[in-house]
Amino acid sequence: MIAALLPMLLAFQVTPELRQHVDAGLKARAAGDLDTAVREFRRVAELAPDLAAAHVNLGAVYFEKKDYAACVAPLRRALELNPDLPGAHGMLGAALLAQGYASESIAHLEKARAEDLLGVALLEGGRVREAVDRLEAALQKRPEDADLLYYLSQAHGRLSRQLADRLRQSSPESARTQLMLGEALAAAGNREPAAKHLRAALALRPDLRGVHYVLGEMYLESGDYENAEREFGEEARMVPGSAAAAYKLGLVLLNRGQVREAIAALERANTLQPDMPETQVELGKALATAGEAAGAEKMFQRVLELEPASRLAETAHFQLAQIYRKLGRSADAEREMTLFQQLRGKRK
Amino acid sequence: MKYPLIFSLAILDIFRPDGLDFTHRNSPTMQKYVIETMGGGVALLDYNNDGLLDIFLVNSGKLDDPQKPPANFARREPAYWNRLYRQNRDGSFTDVTAAAGLSQAGNDYGMGVAVGDYNNDGFPDIYVTNYGRNILYRNNGNGAFTDVTGEAGVAAGGWSVSAGFLDYDNDGRLDLFVSRYLDYDLGRNILCGTPFHSYCRPEKYPGMTNLLYHNEGNGRFRDASVSSGIAAVTGKGMGVAFHDYDGDGFPDIFVSNDLMEQFLFHNRGNGTFEERALDAGVALSDDGSSYSGMGVAFADYDNDGLPDILVTNLALEKWALYRNEGGGRFSYASLSTGLAGLVARNSGWGLGFHDFDNDGWKDLFAAQSHVLDNVERIHSGLRYLEPPGLYRNAAGRFEKSALEALPAVAGRGVAFGDLNNDGAIDAVMSVLGGRPIVLRGRPNRNHWLTFKLAGTRSNRDGQGATVRIGRQWAYATTAGSYLSASDSRVHFGLGGGTRVTVEIAWPAGKRQVLENVAADRIVTVKEPE
Repeated sequence: MIAALLPMLLAFQVTPELRQHVDAGLKARAAGDLDTAVREFRRVAELAPDLAAAHVNLGAVYFEKKDYAACVAPLRRALELNPDLPGAHGMLGAALLAQGYASESIAHLEKARAEDLLGVALLEGGRVREAVDRLEAALQKRPEDADLLYYLSQAHGRLSRQLADRLRQSSPESARTQLMLGEALAAAGNREPAAKHLRAALALRPDLRGVHYVLGEMYLESGDYENAEREFGEEARMVPGSAAAAYKLGLVLLNRGQVREAIAALERANTLQPDMPETQVELGKALATAGEAAGAEKMFQRVLELEPASRLAETAHFQLAQIYRKLGRSADAEREMTLFQQLRGKRK
Repeated sequence: MKYPLIFSLAILDIFRPDGLDFTHRNSPTMQKYVIETMGGGVALLDYNNDGLLDIFLVNSGKLDDPQKPPANFARREPAYWNRLYRQNRDGSFTDVTAAAGLSQAGNDYGMGVAVGDYNNDGFPDIYVTNYGRNILYRNNGNGAFTDVTGEAGVAAGGWSVSAGFLDYDNDGRLDLFVSRYLDYDLGRNILCGTPFHSYCRPEKYPGMTNLLYHNEGNGRFRDASVSSGIAAVTGKGMGVAFHDYDGDGFPDIFVSNDLMEQFLFHNRGNGTFEERALDAGVALSDDGSSYSGMGVAFADYDNDGLPDILVTNLALEKWALYRNEGGGRFSYASLSTGLAGLVARNSGWGLGFHDFDNDGWKDLFAAQSHVLDNVERIHSGLRYLEPPGLYRNAAGRFEKSALEALPAVAGRGVAFGDLNNDGAIDAVMSVLGGRPIVLRGRPNRNHWLTFKLAGTRSNRDGQGATVRIGRQWAYATTAGSYLSASDSRVHFGLGGGTRVTVEIAWPAGKRQVLENVAADRIVTVKEPE
């Protein structure tokens, strides 16, 4: 930025002294001696107080020093003299944002078209919806940027909380509010109060989708398979097209030793949402338990096509080794066991 | 009334016998020393051969907070003694610890107990495992014991957990196996967990090798750990159980390990062992994952003549039941038997397959409790204290029996046997930092038989003999469970059967058939010369 402004500076009344300080400032900055650069550019600004570029240069060096408080005044002065300096707007907006003056920074960042910082400023200024749009736009250009992903997730979270607050305030006794509160408490591991809200939701609207599923998840996570089966069974009955409910029901049935029923539920899940490796692993295990080696083998092979190196692949190789051993296919069993151990070794 | 009934359950009744006043002391500290979580061995043995089972309970010791070196576990103070309770004719117990010479328990932190007649004199001997030096007490046959650890050469060291006597080379003398856990030093204890401390997972410490002592006769043992191949693998051993899983006539050894592969030591029959758990399909869960192996039962739960293996572990890990398919291979049966779903919330320790209702199927009893005493703060769906679990065997599938009325405690070791010789199996469960719980089997209309084996060429107690009645098979062993030693006698439930044919395969090789044996009694069987 400094280099770009130099020709501008030189186009004005350049005295030898001014020229000397400009050169010294540039040289010091290039050498990384920012304190000297500040001194030189401050002198330039004194010698040419009505020259916007002089103030921009001083502000830019402060900005580079991360002395955001100090850079605000020269940048403001520069923009008073010439409001059409996008670089100065960008630096001023960033400096204000860095000091927590998010609302004030927004106008400058808009003029600078700095989408990423503008998104953050909007978020911190409470304009969450606009923040999401800006951050999404920035993320398209830098999809792996950790800062952008963080702020975008914050923005979505805040938006979600705003909507949740609105729901709670507008319909405090509704089934949806109860479901929402139950979900939030369940996610935080507060099982008993979560169950109370979820039961309240069902009392208000027995046909509300998703409540039984959340209850089932809660029971499953604490190893209560009996209650988990009841809840997932109810969800699967109410929402027959839900692959997730059918999968969880199958998983629970399998662990309770109801192998035939588990196979039926898991096959339904696999039809509703083909190529979900979690379903296929459990279906493979259920088929192997039922002695249906060919079907089990097919499932585990498919898991390996979908996820050749994941934790599920480890299970698939391990299960295939057991199946092949049972079938007397020693070489295949050996190969699968080796592959299992290789994957396991990498993970460890 | 010497067996005051507290309350009654369907199969087992809870009793607090007079005189059994033991309290286990593990001395939990804020330092969360891992040893605090582990103790509580219990043994059922007839030490004075009066026909009544007596109870031996292992104490742990005193820990300072923090413990300063050198470690002093105050084992000489009576509160920290191991205790031997002699059963009286009226079912009460008398503390005979001092008279029996068992008050001197060294100064190491106590863990478990093994029982076996290592010198074939007809009186059961006691081996106590410790965090530190183990102790072998020879039964003098006059009601007293003598510490013979030094001359026997079985002091071990490190952190021993479970142990068991077995005659691995069928030479007629009981050898000794000791499982060891972590290479752990109180002075290098690691504090785990934020914002509050929890006991560290075993990954934080290196493991140890297990020990095998060969009985050389003349009261001496030889450390055969290396020469036998047992020490070829390092584990984090907890429970240990014996059985001849491949029917080659030599006992094999299963060791449950904590958060690593389990060990199945196949006895090659030439004094050496080969670790084959992965190959046999008993090393990992059905997902190929390791789990927190605690106790182990090695018995034929499905009456197919092949011994199966059950390893207890922590809640949400699924206890691992491996069904013996023959040919040296096992399949994972926790799912097909319904056991996985039944015990998903439970953390299991000592356990045993025994026919509590004498219907001809071995049921499952397990001591339960999570290892973390603050697990509720980590996972609100789990509980530290749990009542023990009784899972009825319904022809190879398991069903939960109502034991919820039992108090929630930190169950650890369990030993099984028929305390009052009424044909119903009883259980004594140790409680970490608490009083043991005695559960007495309730006789019903079903019939039963119990065998007291008397080896001649084989070891004196016939340990390692296989007894068959119809489809039922049982293996004579005091080992198994966790930290504990059970009645050396072999029990069968016969359902409606009143006369049966009994086949016994003695470790020395003899096969014996007893025809037309009447039910509902204890039969002493002498090995044919």
